[in-house]
Amino acid sequence: MNTSIPQLQLAFTLPLDQFDLNVEYTTTQQVTGVFGVSGAGKTSLLETVAGIRRNARGRICFGGEAWLDSTKNISLPAHHRNIGYVPQDSLLFPHKNVRQNLLAGSKRAHRNQQQMNELLDRVTRLLNIADLLSRQIDTLSGGERQRVALGRAICSGPGLLLLDEPLASLDIALRYKILPFLHRIKEEFHIPILLVSHDPIDVQALCDDLLVLREGAILAQGKPRRVLTNPEIFPVADREGYQNIFQADVDTHDGETSVLRMGEGDSPIRIITPRVSGAPGEKLLVGIAAYDIILGNQRPEGLSARNILQARITDIQSTGTLNLVTVTLAQQVPNLVVEVTEQSCREMNLVTGKEVYLIIKTASWRILEEVD
Amino acid sequence: MTDTTISALLLTLRTATLATVIVTIPGTLLAYALARYSFPGKDIIATLVGLPLVMPPTAVGYLLLKMFSTHGLLGPEFLGFDLDILLTWKAVVVACGVMATPLVVRTARVTFEGVDPRLEVMARTLGHGRVRTFFSYTLPLASRGLLAAIILGFTRAVGEFGATVTIAGNIPGRTQTLSTAIYSAQQVGRDTEAYFLLAVALFVGFAAIMATEYLSRKGPGSLTG
Repeated sequence: MNTSIPQLQLAFTLPLDQFDLNVEYTTTQQVTGVFGVSGAGKTSLLETVAGIRRNARGRICFGGEAWLDSTKNISLPAHHRNIGYVPQDSLLFPHKNVRQNLLAGSKRAHRNQQQMNELLDRVTRLLNIADLLSRQIDTLSGGERQRVALGRAICSGPGLLLLDEPLASLDIALRYKILPFLHRIKEEFHIPILLVSHDPIDVQALCDDLLVLREGAILAQGKPRRVLTNPEIFPVADREGYQNIFQADVDTHDGETSVLRMGEGDSPIRIITPRVSGAPGEKLLVGIAAYDIILGNQRPEGLSARNILQARITDIQSTGTLNLVTVTLAQQVPNLVVEVTEQSCREMNLVTGKEVYLIIKTASWRILEEVD
Repeated sequence: MTDTTISALLLTLRTATLATVIVTIPGTLLAYALARYSFPGKDIIATLVGLPLVMPPTAVGYLLLKMFSTHGLLGPEFLGFDLDILLTWKAVVVACGVMATPLVVRTARVTFEGVDPRLEVMARTLGHGRVRTFFSYTLPLASRGLLAAIILGFTRAVGEFGATVTIAGNIPGRTQTLSTAIYSAQQVGRDTEAYFLLAVALFVGFAAIMATEYLSRKGPGSLTG
């Protein structure tokens, strides 16, 4: 799939108030995250790619087309860049209803009426906003606004989606309900995405590649799990710590709990979570904070925790005060990261290759489901 | 009702409408430029445009009189031909237009400043160029405030007295307007006529202020954003 993603090439310098933003990055991954604390230059980077900020020098190239090339005096204005931009606060047009907002960029989509209707239909179903089409903007909730803003961007037929903290204006509970929509957009539309976020959960759930910015410079780049467990980067994630996010299938329901299957293949790992609303076979995103997992040297007995999983340590990273222990559960099952203190690590004699048991309470799993 | 009263009313309606139309388009564009861009001389232009609001209308009239007189900047000697403005209906239009301009420009400017520029940026990321963005997004978003600006400009033009009387005179049947006719009628004690004109003025003013009150309520394109 990655081979069909057009190349995005960023090599520019942008003067900002406190420092210069220096970016040197090329990717063919579908979703690239731009991660960092506020004030690191993330939004400026996105606005430069969008053509909203035009004072950068260097080169921005997408799919072989130069959007910015200072040596040739090329700097395309925003409306010639074939982008879909979704800002933090949705910025829907108040003089248009939902349907008109969704179609605001449809001219550029180069589709005939029938194709446009099909696209609109597909987008509204995917984002679950079909019932809102004739509503006025000021009657929408925060979560609905963000979904309409996403839909508007997709309906304009963009080559590249630019998402600027698309979930930041929503409260925590709502964010985890909208996040799965972003995940579905990624899976269904195959549009390359540049996602700015300061939330490790968004980044873990969506990004194939991650850039970490600090004071305008790229501090690290790579797979989200690698980057976020990097001792230098871990403090950037701050109070959220490390979040494990992975996709799982609904297996069965049992009263107040559900059983989910982690991973593909013949031997999936079954986990017990709070009751989910999806039917058996449906996919959903599940999260667990690294600090919510307990490690044991032996299989514990007589505990109230319902999930006891056998695993093997594959990596240990020290962040100074904490150790981030990466464990593998089975083939074709996503690895998990566990946070333990230096002392525990020493006393338990944790080393790479050691067999351990993960202990996880049912209520600790974070279920990211599309619920209205 | 005398013929001169009727002709004063009709002249007022015609000249105020014409002055408003002439002022609105450049006034709106200027207001947009003042609201969105910074350029050299911006403050001077904004001040000059606003001056008629605070100057005595007769002073503005006197200034216009000097400009259009034989040796003035817009006089026949300087231009090489005669615009033939003074003491005609055209002078009424000029006086009304100049006096209405500050209200139109300032109201429109506040309205444009209330339109979130990021919405315009949004429109551009959706593939719309500058001109299309202005007409399809900025103008509709500002529509209520702009309508209020036009109404205020028009009512200012209807009520114009000082500058009009200075450059157009108060010639019954030719340059006499609603406000100059009220003055004349009251001077010579033709009360019925004055009452009638007063009623018309009250009605126009009442309707205009009501309309702007309605338009300034919150909503898309409103004055308060």
